[in-house]
This record gives sequence, C-alpha cells and structure tokens, in this order.
Amino acid sequence: MNIEQITGRYLTVEVAGRRQRIYFEEAGQGRPVLCLHTAGSDTRQWRHILNDLEITAENRIIAFDMPWHGKSLPPEGFLTEEYLLTTEVYMETVLAVVLGLGLDRPVLAGVSMGGRIALQLAVQQPEAFSGFLAIEASDFQPAWYDIDWFHRPDAHGGEMGAALVSTNISPYAPEAERANTMWLFMQSGPGVFRGDLSFYTQDDSLVGQLHRIDTAKTPVHFIVGAYDFTCTPEDAQRTAEQVEGATLSVMEEVGHFPMSEHPKAFRPFFVDGLARMPKAKSGAS
Amino acid sequence: MIDRMKQMQADLDHLPHLHRMGALFSETVLIKVDGQEFYLVFEKGRIAQLLEGPSKKTPYRFSFITDGAAFEEFWTATPKPGFHDIFAMVKIGRAEIMGDMLLLVKNLRFLKEVLALPRARREVVE
Repeated sequence: MNIEQITGRYLTVEVAGRRQRIYFEEAGQGRPVLCLHTAGSDTRQWRHILNDLEITAENRIIAFDMPWHGKSLPPEGFLTEEYLLTTEVYMETVLAVVLGLGLDRPVLAGVSMGGRIALQLAVQQPEAFSGFLAIEASDFQPAWYDIDWFHRPDAHGGEMGAALVSTNISPYAPEAERANTMWLFMQSGPGVFRGDLSFYTQDDSLVGQLHRIDTAKTPVHFIVGAYDFTCTPEDAQRTAEQVEGATLSVMEEVGHFPMSEHPKAFRPFFVDGLARMPKAKSGAS
Repeated sequence: MIDRMKQMQADLDHLPHLHRMGALFSETVLIKVDGQEFYLVFEKGRIAQLLEGPSKKTPYRFSFITDGAAFEEFWTATPKPGFHDIFAMVKIGRAEIMGDMLLLVKNLRFLKEVLALPRARREVVE
C-alpha cells in the first residue's frame, strides 16, 4: 500500500468578473514553485514532481487545473459559450491563484502554453514572481494542424487530440507514462483543447516583447525536449536568444510533455532549473 | 518493402485491440515508398487486401508518401527525432500526407499504431 504525499483542495477566485472554483494540488515546503500544465491536460501531468521527496523537501510545489480543465469546473453558464482562452484571462487566472494562495513571489514553471504565459508574465508582471522556468516554450507557434479538428460532433476530440500530441512524445518515454500522458488528453472536455490551442497558435502578442524581461531581477531558464515537434529546440533557442541573460537546456530523450511522459529523464533538468532560480527568503529552506 | 507491408498485415491480424479501435475504418490507404505503391485495403480494422501498384485505377482516401531510409529509421526501436512519428516525418520534410486529412485524423491513433507495427521492440534498461 502507498499513500502519496500530494494533497488537493479548491480555491475560489474571481477572474475577469467571473467566479472560478479552481482545483490545486501541492506537496512540500520551502520555496514556492507554481507549476502550469499544457493545453488540453491538467495538474496530473505534474504528479511525479509533486511526489518527489527530495524536490519537495526544499520546495513547496503547487499545481492547479485551469478553469475548464481537470477538476476545475467551467464557470457558470458555460453550456452556451465557446471556450477560447486568451492571454489576458490566462494571466489574470495565474495571478489570482498566486494572490489567493498567498504565495510570496513563487518560481513560475510552465510547460507549452504554460511556458508561453510564464514568458508573458515575465514581461508584464515580473514583480509577482522570483523567476521563470519556460519549458517547451516559445514566443509563438502557428498551428501545423487545423484546431477545429478537435471539437466536432462526429468524432471524439480527446482521442484525436491524444493521437495528435503523441507526435511530441519521445520513443524513450516509458510505455506506461506515454499512455498516461495520452489519457489526460483523452479526458479533456469537449472543445477545451481547441480553446487552448486558439490561444497557443493564434495569439502572437508576445512577439517582439521578450527584450523587456530583466533576468537580473527574474531569471529565465528554458528547457526543451529534442522530440518536441510543436516547440522544437530551434523554436526555444530562437525565443531564448531574445531574452538577454536567459539560459537553455536541451533534453535529448524527451518530448513536449517532459514531467509526464518521461519523469526520470526530466527530473535532473528540472532540478537544475530550480537551482538557477533565487533561493527562498530566510525562514524557508 | 513488400515484406514490411506483409508483416504489418499479419501482425494486425493478431491484435484484437486494434480491430476494436479500427472497427469503423473500412477504407483504402496508399503507402508510397521510393515511388513504389502499396494499397492497404482496410476492412473493419484489418488489412483485408494488400495490393501492389502502380495503379491508376485503385481509389484511395489518403496517402502517406516517404522514402525507404526514412521508413526504416521510423521502424527502429528509438528513431532519431523527426523519424519517430508520421506527422513529425512530414514536419522534417521526409514524408507527405495527401488526401482526406480529416478522415486520417479521426482514425489517427489506429493508423499510427498500424504503421508502427514493424517497429523493433526497445530493450528497457532500468
């Protein structure tokens, strides 16, 4: 028998004038590290990091399900609306969680669309964070697929989404974790992956803004997998070069969902990334 | 290459989970490798017929076009980045997909698994 150390609770906040009941999980103590999941998935992607006894000995790892994802219900009235994530609402949601949980300048670690919003926040609201881990992240990625494929009445968007994103899973990923990573996409609500991709593949508002990041105040470290064909190492490199002082690591045997698809290969890169971030204030380890 | 296609057909026959996944897929797919044509005639998740081209008379719903070296790399246990997935092969310019893309995407998991059947098993070292 094994009972994991992860605990989950709900936080209710107001985002863009709407009440959002947000599910979050956490484990550990010390420096707060807020983790963001990818498009079309949820906090379970972070399960291995949340269960890592060494990492959580010195870091309070927190991850939350974006509204419409995982255990965070969509807002009231959702049945008659089209879900389309925007940069503004995404940023406001992350900041509402930081405020709601009383986090004192956490490290923000975002993957894929989470990495994109981490970079947006590094540009626009750096004072709320102590540093940024931009994982599988770039300034902009146009779609190489039709996002409307993933929300249609005659096919299962989740199954199609999972099959599509398997393009970005490394062949070195353990088979069980590859399956789990795909399952999270299969469970995604109707239209949610499409609504996330709308933000990820159509909002180019970060282009040309990255020079505004001051890495002396808030360091930025990029991590990217060689098997990521949505945000390739070249995309991450191109983006990192626009952030003066940013650093970049390439994981040779990992794809677009590192913490979920291949936790063992991702771990040293995440630990290294955390080591590049400011330590917690005195009183916390 | 014909041996690889025959292996795919035979392996699929013994995988009931793929018959379930492809139960609604009864279409013809053209696989073109180094200009050589192979028509896979699917019937309820099995390859009912494997027809060698060239043919101008065989209707098909979509095609996957690549070269033999790329396909062989795809079938290794741990293909190099870009060769590990049919869409990734398109992205690196080593394959083309033509035809009814939506039909492919609706059956994408099934077709990806079928095309990968000749892949060598990976030795897992812990």
